[in-house]
Amino acid sequence: MMKCPRCVQRIHRAAESCPHCGFSIADADARYGAEEVRLRCLSDTAGILKRGDREQVEAAMERISRRFPQVFAAVHTGALGEVANIRQFGFWLLNRAAFEDLPPDKPNEAGILLTIDPESKAAGFIFGYLLDPFLEEADTFECLCRAHAYWLEGRYADGIVRALLHLEGILAKRSRQARRDPGHFQRKVLPLAMIGDPVRRIRAGHRNVSQAPENKTKEVVQ
Amino acid sequence: MKSTRSVGILCVLAAGLGFAAPEQGLPSWQDGQPPEEAWVAGSELLVGDAAEGEGAETEAVALELEAPTAGDISGAAVPRSEVPEEYWPAYFAERPQAFLVDPQGLLSPVDQRERLDFLNYHAGDSAIDLFVYVFGGDQEIPGEVREEELVERFFAAGRPAAVVHWFMGAPERTVLRLSPALTEKLPLAEQRRALESSVMQALNQTGPARQFEAFLVQMSIRIYWMERMLGGTEPPAGAIAAPARVVKPLEKKSKVMELLQPHLEQARRFALPAVFTAGALLLLVVVSWWLKHRARHRFPDFEVEPRLGGAHAAGVGAVISFASAALPPASQRDQMPDYLRRA
Repeated sequence: MMKCPRCVQRIHRAAESCPHCGFSIADADARYGAEEVRLRCLSDTAGILKRGDREQVEAAMERISRRFPQVFAAVHTGALGEVANIRQFGFWLLNRAAFEDLPPDKPNEAGILLTIDPESKAAGFIFGYLLDPFLEEADTFECLCRAHAYWLEGRYADGIVRALLHLEGILAKRSRQARRDPGHFQRKVLPLAMIGDPVRRIRAGHRNVSQAPENKTKEVVQ
Repeated sequence: MKSTRSVGILCVLAAGLGFAAPEQGLPSWQDGQPPEEAWVAGSELLVGDAAEGEGAETEAVALELEAPTAGDISGAAVPRSEVPEEYWPAYFAERPQAFLVDPQGLLSPVDQRERLDFLNYHAGDSAIDLFVYVFGGDQEIPGEVREEELVERFFAAGRPAAVVHWFMGAPERTVLRLSPALTEKLPLAEQRRALESSVMQALNQTGPARQFEAFLVQMSIRIYWMERMLGGTEPPAGAIAAPARVVKPLEKKSKVMELLQPHLEQARRFALPAVFTAGALLLLVVVSWWLKHRARHRFPDFEVEPRLGGAHAAGVGAVISFASAALPPASQRDQMPDYLRRA
């Protein structure tokens, strides 16, 4: 199920803008800037992580990269202000960020970004198109739930690590499922044109069948 | 019955024929030689020269045997070697801590345990301890060691003791020495009789282990009689004054061991499979952990149409608020649009 980052309403697979609220990347660019943003995978702009905490979080991120060579995890903390929406901000950041410490063969499509706003006390997960077929919104919510208790106490690093650890488990599970039945996941992201194909074929088949007797009749008459 | 009767009749008939036949006289001839043509009963047995063919067959073959050596003729013993020097401290350095001294491991572990148990039992039952040093049958005590002096030095204090030097497979070489407290009171003849009797018992057995066992049993009996000679079963006065420090722990240990022995045997039987199973399980856990740790997961790369103009992501994912404990995650499960939440 795909939702608009602004109105959280369902949108179809290839929507260029939200059919409900008209939201698109252009709206986010207008708010946060259309330029590329250079940052590292772990950017603690809010300054909520201590030195030891950073190592702990980096280790958890590194583990995800090691176990899932296509994927990387990124964490950004920062105060977004009163008007900012963390969902829209995450969407914008993953599309506009240029992660300096990433190898060039890892595009942002393979990223999972955790954004934390310690001011508004909100956090959100955003993931790229590579994981679109395999992760659900509910999966990322589960990960955030694991971290909730820690974040309530202000233990941000512990919360992040717990969330990433749980995410690791979910990814491993989905990877195994995808290996067994890739078709199940592929169907989730099939382009609309391809979904329409079978319908067209069936209709065409019906037309052929309905046309065939007429031809036969004609032959008999001739 | 019929057959018995017929056999009896046959016997009677044969006896009758024997009596009826004329008695054959003994052959007699003159000049020491039998007449050449006369037939003599049993002459073939009396003829000294056998037939030529027979003579060839029965001709004695000279065996090629090695000539006896000077040592064989003189009856000298098998050459012996000294006890290896590495074992000297264990044998001769101090009073033994156990009744059986076998640092070379000449007895099998089972025999060693059984003999030691017996000696412990003897010590618990008798006022005279029996210490046994086990040597190889072809070994001899080094010349530097003065056995009498050692016995005096080590066994002067403590309970009276009989000290035996036992040579495996050569019971006749056994040496018996008594601690000073006993030497003064027991006549030498009695000591010799005890030793001879025990050695005889040993020699009646085959195999070094059985000989040793028989020797110890007999020696224990003889020691009992020595005690009787010393005046009842009461231990000598010197012995009471200096109770054995070595024996008591051994005795206690043996009793504990006797109680635990069946359980230990049972445990030993299952120990090896249990260790193997535990090891296999541990290995399995380690290997599975290692495989899991090393596992690399890859996702199939499907083509996804971009949405909302985002080149890399379409903004799918959950959001949670941790502003208040009063707003638990469960109440945030349904990701609502902000304007609906405010409403």
